[in-house]
Amino acid sequence: MENMATRTQTAQRPNGSAQGKICQFKLVLLGESAVGKSSLVLRFVKGQFHEYQESTIGAAFLTQTVCLDDTTVKFEIWDTAGQERYHSLAPMYYRGAQAAIVVYDITNQDTFGRAKTWVKELQRQASPNIVIALAGNKQDLANKRMVEFEEAQNYADENTLLFMETSAKTAMNVNDIFLAIAKKLPRNEQASGASASGQGRRLAEGDTGARAAGSCCK
Amino acid sequence: MEDNCEGCMELFSQDGVLLKQAHSYYIQYFNESGTLYITEYANTKDRFIEWKPNSVTVHSDSHDSEWSFVNAIYRGEQMSPQPPDSKPKYIKLDMNQVRSFKVSKKNDTMTFFDGKGEILCHFFFQHGNCFSLFAALKGLLKTTVSKRDKNIHIIVDETLQLNKSFATLDLFQDSQSASIVWGFVRSFQEKPVETAFGAFAKIGNTIGNNFMPSSSPQPIEEEVITNDVKEYERGVESSDGASPKDYEIIHSSPELPSRLQYPRGNPLSYDQWTALQDSEGRIEDVEYTKLHIFRGGIAPSLRKVVWKYMLDFYPWNSSNADRKTILGKKEQDYYDMKLQWKTLKPWQLQNFVQLRDRLSLVEKDVTRTDRTLPFYAGDNNKNLQAMSDILMTYVMHNFDLGYVQGMSDLLSPILYLLQNEVDAFWCFAGFMERVCTNFDADQAGMKTQLSNLYILLKFSNPTLASYLDNQESGNMFFCFRWLLVLFKREFELHDVFRLWEVVWTNHPCNNFHLLISIAILEKQQSEFIGEEMGFNEILKHVNDLSGKLDVNDILDNAEGLYYQIRESSQLTNEVRQILGLPLIAESSPKDDSTDSIENELMANVDKAYENGLHTSYF
Ligand SMILES: Nc1nc2c(ncn2[C@@H]2O[C@H](COP(=O)(O)OP(=O)(O)O)[C@@H](O)[C@H]2O)c(=O)[nH]1
Ligand SMILES: [Mg+2]
Repeated sequence: MENMATRTQTAQRPNGSAQGKICQFKLVLLGESAVGKSSLVLRFVKGQFHEYQESTIGAAFLTQTVCLDDTTVKFEIWDTAGQERYHSLAPMYYRGAQAAIVVYDITNQDTFGRAKTWVKELQRQASPNIVIALAGNKQDLANKRMVEFEEAQNYADENTLLFMETSAKTAMNVNDIFLAIAKKLPRNEQASGASASGQGRRLAEGDTGARAAGSCCK
Repeated sequence: MEDNCEGCMELFSQDGVLLKQAHSYYIQYFNESGTLYITEYANTKDRFIEWKPNSVTVHSDSHDSEWSFVNAIYRGEQMSPQPPDSKPKYIKLDMNQVRSFKVSKKNDTMTFFDGKGEILCHFFFQHGNCFSLFAALKGLLKTTVSKRDKNIHIIVDETLQLNKSFATLDLFQDSQSASIVWGFVRSFQEKPVETAFGAFAKIGNTIGNNFMPSSSPQPIEEEVITNDVKEYERGVESSDGASPKDYEIIHSSPELPSRLQYPRGNPLSYDQWTALQDSEGRIEDVEYTKLHIFRGGIAPSLRKVVWKYMLDFYPWNSSNADRKTILGKKEQDYYDMKLQWKTLKPWQLQNFVQLRDRLSLVEKDVTRTDRTLPFYAGDNNKNLQAMSDILMTYVMHNFDLGYVQGMSDLLSPILYLLQNEVDAFWCFAGFMERVCTNFDADQAGMKTQLSNLYILLKFSNPTLASYLDNQESGNMFFCFRWLLVLFKREFELHDVFRLWEVVWTNHPCNNFHLLISIAILEKQQSEFIGEEMGFNEILKHVNDLSGKLDVNDILDNAEGLYYQIRESSQLTNEVRQILGLPLIAESSPKDDSTDSIENELMANVDKAYENGLHTSYF
């Protein structure tokens, strides 16, 4: 596990097409159980939503590629099990991550408290430059809201977090939050960091263009 | 016999002999009556114990090709690598494999052991007793009565002379003969003390695996050992003989004997189940029952009944009357516990955060467990309500453990099958007893499982293990889900039933589910390596196997793998421990080493009895 950080460092490759640079980032989702982590990923990666999305056991790994100006950004997404009992596994997944989305459920105050704990843990133990986004999910259930938008926004501002309310169900702000993260990630710096480590990841030629067309490259 | 066995002489025969136990391949013949023979082949002078069920007649020309399965297993690659496709016609046990036998107190059963903790065959003598067989064996073999159990007769090998200078270690008091062990002892005794000690430790290792005479035909493993000893001796001659290198060769990388296929048997049927019970409804032969289930599972309509035994709802030896009482008590206990949380007033719950948290965890998972199954689909589903009530009551039943993610996956198939809240609760609780360490707060149980999995993989498939290691996947975390919920997420429901009941039998070894994991991983090896998958890709690939696996094929291979590992000449105690095989003393001081040989042999016999299929017969 020690090497995971270096191994998954951002790689920058000219791929011979007009797209220019390719960046690869490791992103991890954290947050209390059932706040909608898996649903957000499923929405972002496959454009789907399952009312009865089964709980995540262990962890899941997915990838999605988005285009940003002249750069192709490939997200390597780790979706984790949220229950406190599995907390001890989390460091394995956020170690070496360049970005994290900490999710809470706007209809459940406890999950917001739990989100703050995750943020603290990341600030203390994850990579120092990690980009953290806070997602107040299940925005479609705003009539049952228990966490006020302003409260979360203030907290995010104090901690310099990206913040959005999202809904995996309606897709509101889902792509947006991933894109906002991609924009905030220091693409050039990361790229040089990767070459310094000499561990850039191989990208299959066909891998980049095809998937990019799906979600954000118009 | 004579008419179907060319060049073979019948030394003894007795009819009315029931087969009580043998390799599970012969399960169809268990409890069947047949004839027992001792035969000798003219050309090789090899002797066999043979048993033929009355229901089968053997044709003369097929005799030689009909290698019995017992032999196929123990002889590794020498014999046909596949057991016959057709059903085995009879048992043929090479006498060289028998290390000891036991006569029951009533003289009505005889059990043959392999010296490695396995029962080779166990016979019951319907007519009278086993005296004549015993006399015949005494006439053919040199035996000595075990110091521990006067009913056990240890077979003394006559092919090697006991070296007198080691006779202080008097294992075989009444005999000048000894097993191959003494051959080793003699070779080493003149060597420097230090070397002899080391070598002796290594021999200690080999005894359990190859406690066999050196007369032909030799099992393949034994040839390996013999060669190793030659290597060793050559080393000793050409140098000072004290270099550890000279005997370290015994521990080269483990090469497993070739894989045999173990096709699944027929499921336990309603009639068979009825026949297994005595007049009062007690299951007479529990191990036999489990063995049958291990081989073929349980007929779907019967699962509802048998799972209650498998999951400790009813004891196997309970009578019909006992079960009525037990059921009444379990119902009462369940509803008592259920009332405890159901009757809490809102303000009580408000001030009881630990309980409230637990109940809310249950609620979160119940609503997303197997909702695609019609049984759990739709709003206000009563089965979903039952699932929730069971899990909440389980929180009261075991408050410290509470509810942990994954438990609803373990409950769902049980409730689906039993369709009764009380039954499902107690069967779930019984299942949890077996797997509760998976849910340890510090993950200690899962860590142990993952590391045991790695140890077994490294032993059986070093190539794959080292590949995974190089990809930072030696922690086996990509198997976390498999092990946490025992493959529940990997198969469709009926395959889960099948796999679980097989694992619950605890046959053919402990931790069989780890061998199942390896059987699945092996199949992915070429993709892992060929596509140069790393940690991320491996986890994704493994998660994506869900729904694509063939349960029967995997069970066949896992069982085959078990025998490969067990028969490996390099088997380590670490591996033995995980599989629950008898341990071998790795290094024993000189003065009590022979005692340890008998100790070991006896421990193996005891083990065989623990594993054994019988407690009382008739
Ligand atoms: N109404 C609503 N339900 C959601 C939303 N996101 C997730 N869910 C539901 O919340 C439950 C838990 O979602 P899941 O993604 O499994 O949460 P996780 O445990 O954090 O991965 C599931 O039943 C989802 O259908 C959302 O945006 N709106
Ligand atoms: Mg999830």
